[in-house]
Amino acid sequence: MRNPDDQGIAARTDSDAPAYANKLSRRDSLKLLAALAASAMLPALSACGSPSTGDAPDGLADAGHWPELDLQPVTASGYGKDPDLITPPEAPWPLTLTPDQLSLLALLSDIIVPAEGKSPSASAVQVPTVIDEWVSAPYPDQQQDRLTVLSALAWLDDEAALRFSQPFATLATAQQLAIIDDIAYRNDQTPRQFQRMAEAFARLRNLVLAAYFCTPDGMEDIGYMGNVAIAGDYPGPTPEAYRHLETVLADLGLSEFAYPVG
Amino acid sequence: MNDFAHTVLVVGSGAGGAMAAYELTRQGHKVLLLEAGRHYDPTTETPMFRPNGDAPLMGASTPDKDFGFYDSTVGGGWEVPDEPYTTAEGTEFLWWRARMLGGRTNHWGRYALRFSEHDFKAKSRDGLGADWPFEYDEIAPWYDKTEALVGVCGTNTGLDDMPPSSDGVLQPAPTPRIPELLIAAAAKKHGIEAAPMHRAILTRALDQRAPCFWATPCGYGCSIGAAFQTTTSLLPMAQATGHLRVITDAMVKTVTTDAGGQVTGVTYIDKKSGSERQVDAKVVVLAASACETARILLNSKTERHPAGLANSSGQVGRNLMDSTGAGLSALVPALMDRPRYNEDGHTANHLFIPWWGHQAHADKELDFPRGYHFELGGRFAEPGAYVSGDLQGYGTALKQQVRAHYGAYVHFALRGEMLPNDDCYMDIDPSVTDKWGIPVPRFHWKWSEHELKQVEHGLKTAKAILETMGATVGELPAAEEAIKKGGEIIHEVGTTRMGDSPEDSVTNQWGQTWDCPNLFVMDGGVFASNPHKNCTLTIMTLAMRNSAWLADQLKAGAL
Repeated sequence: MRNPDDQGIAARTDSDAPAYANKLSRRDSLKLLAALAASAMLPALSACGSPSTGDAPDGLADAGHWPELDLQPVTASGYGKDPDLITPPEAPWPLTLTPDQLSLLALLSDIIVPAEGKSPSASAVQVPTVIDEWVSAPYPDQQQDRLTVLSALAWLDDEAALRFSQPFATLATAQQLAIIDDIAYRNDQTPRQFQRMAEAFARLRNLVLAAYFCTPDGMEDIGYMGNVAIAGDYPGPTPEAYRHLETVLADLGLSEFAYPVG
Repeated sequence: MNDFAHTVLVVGSGAGGAMAAYELTRQGHKVLLLEAGRHYDPTTETPMFRPNGDAPLMGASTPDKDFGFYDSTVGGGWEVPDEPYTTAEGTEFLWWRARMLGGRTNHWGRYALRFSEHDFKAKSRDGLGADWPFEYDEIAPWYDKTEALVGVCGTNTGLDDMPPSSDGVLQPAPTPRIPELLIAAAAKKHGIEAAPMHRAILTRALDQRAPCFWATPCGYGCSIGAAFQTTTSLLPMAQATGHLRVITDAMVKTVTTDAGGQVTGVTYIDKKSGSERQVDAKVVVLAASACETARILLNSKTERHPAGLANSSGQVGRNLMDSTGAGLSALVPALMDRPRYNEDGHTANHLFIPWWGHQAHADKELDFPRGYHFELGGRFAEPGAYVSGDLQGYGTALKQQVRAHYGAYVHFALRGEMLPNDDCYMDIDPSVTDKWGIPVPRFHWKWSEHELKQVEHGLKTAKAILETMGATVGELPAAEEAIKKGGEIIHEVGTTRMGDSPEDSVTNQWGQTWDCPNLFVMDGGVFASNPHKNCTLTIMTLAMRNSAWLADQLKAGAL
């Protein structure tokens, strides 16, 4: 669990930080859909771990460090009460992350969701761009997340400087993971100086995961099989799913109370 | 306007207004319908099959789109630009408004449960609230007609809280999902039955509408008409008669009266130009939503009607009720890593837990007077902007945690009956107006012990069922914290209640105001009580029945 070798992350031997840049369009599926009027799709159907103590440098206060960022509020407009739902706005508001922030975010995204089997990594499916859109949005929840995410990015560079005298992105993979290991597990034993960052990392991690599993590759990875038109009655659970339920009911002593099916 | 000699003017195009328009035009009466929101066409505007990943912010809720980017509500929400409302000091109330053709029927949950004799005559049983001015048996045929017209899937269960529909009325219900089946078994161990939910979803083709194809959340609206909304059903049907004319962006300000106090028509603001218009009608039907209708009546003060129109009883704006709401979720370890399949279904409950406590109430075993039901959540939902689970670490081990938790959380949503009380009402704010100078509602709200005790019972019951499923629930919140805010369940009713006497009610059983024979109310305002079963089916049923009665009155020359 705690061994980086188990994390599926290829160790990099060089320390060149890869650059990540937003592509112009990430809503590619819309281009396919735009060709299909909603009604045009229908006739066919109608017919038918334990924390490490880290290597905190001497002299670091118990409470740790925190970058008290002085962020200017985002003043862009939202998408309004009546946006185009068929073709959502490509760029609802200006993106605000700097190239360096975006590249660091991409690096973190791929630590959180690396490539695995036939599933691509987070940056390969433009997760950083989705998070850039999120933290650049003018709504209260997103503005709160903006402070959290930007503080987390700044904290990582501060921590990297304290430990290794370099920006986070230029560290060797083992050094990067030494820091991540200190902040990626939240429990009663998390050292005090990492608690605030662990909380911020957890929020960033959730954003990365959400953005990842929202992609077609991510939906396949998690096993979402819906959003598919089915003619006729709802098929319901598979035989395998029913067998699993039977086992569950038996384990819980509920077999005699089973709801009749079919 | 002059080429269309309407007889009846209907305000609002949601459940009540569209049904009134349907029934009146079907019977040959010309109807002018005013809608405060914009025109809306689900066949071209519904974001069918659009994935969250293509929406801004992964489709997350924002102050602009309270129920998520793709929610069908356009131009409305908890906050509506230029249309404020206020709450009395120290009270909270949330007022949902849908400013669009079809109103809230475009995005409603589509739960369609009949009230029963038990519901209609609750005061006779326990002395609280008010009885309805009719028997269930008088309404049952109208429920049949409404269910057949709307298209409701479900089952006659024989349970005492679920009166049966006539043979052949209900469409087949979809097969249950795995988490619902597990909850059903756990509940049954406690002597509590789960049952197929009745929903206004077509599982068989009906008129021009296609059956559900088990994709795209109903809250987005439904371009094929399978999920009921008036914009794909009652309104086009009424239009097809040639007897309906609709004016959108028409914000009704007052109902006008003559020197004798009788209703002559309405004034409205044309939102596009900002100008005020007046239109006359022989009969006015208000179906603007409970609180909007009460607002119009209270704002229609004249010398003859000093307390507001149709308010000789002083009951307009009083008796405001919502449903109680509370929720409890837990991770069910037995559901982790379960076999995948397409669990979309019709996106809401295939099974739910109806109220089982009639006998317990009769035996005086409960410390709260009225019942509730549980709506059940938990399925392989389309991934969105939030990920569940107490997640740790990173990399492939983290991804495995997410996959394991997927579809393993279940949720109990309590929806319960609230009793009217003197602390829950709306009046008109003395100083605040909207963009057009129309005074706005001011809400007053306080839950009573009846609701708090009910929620406490519900949370304990949900916890017991969850623990029977092997979930760890932890300490329950206090009812005061768990109960949703007034208005939050969007079932507000009672502000123009019907009754047997002009002394303590605003309308008779036909929705006809006691004070003005040619003024009717056909929205949730007429409810004498607010049973736990979601108001829309009954709003439509009463609108059909009472519009048929109104049509008879017109034929007889009584109006």
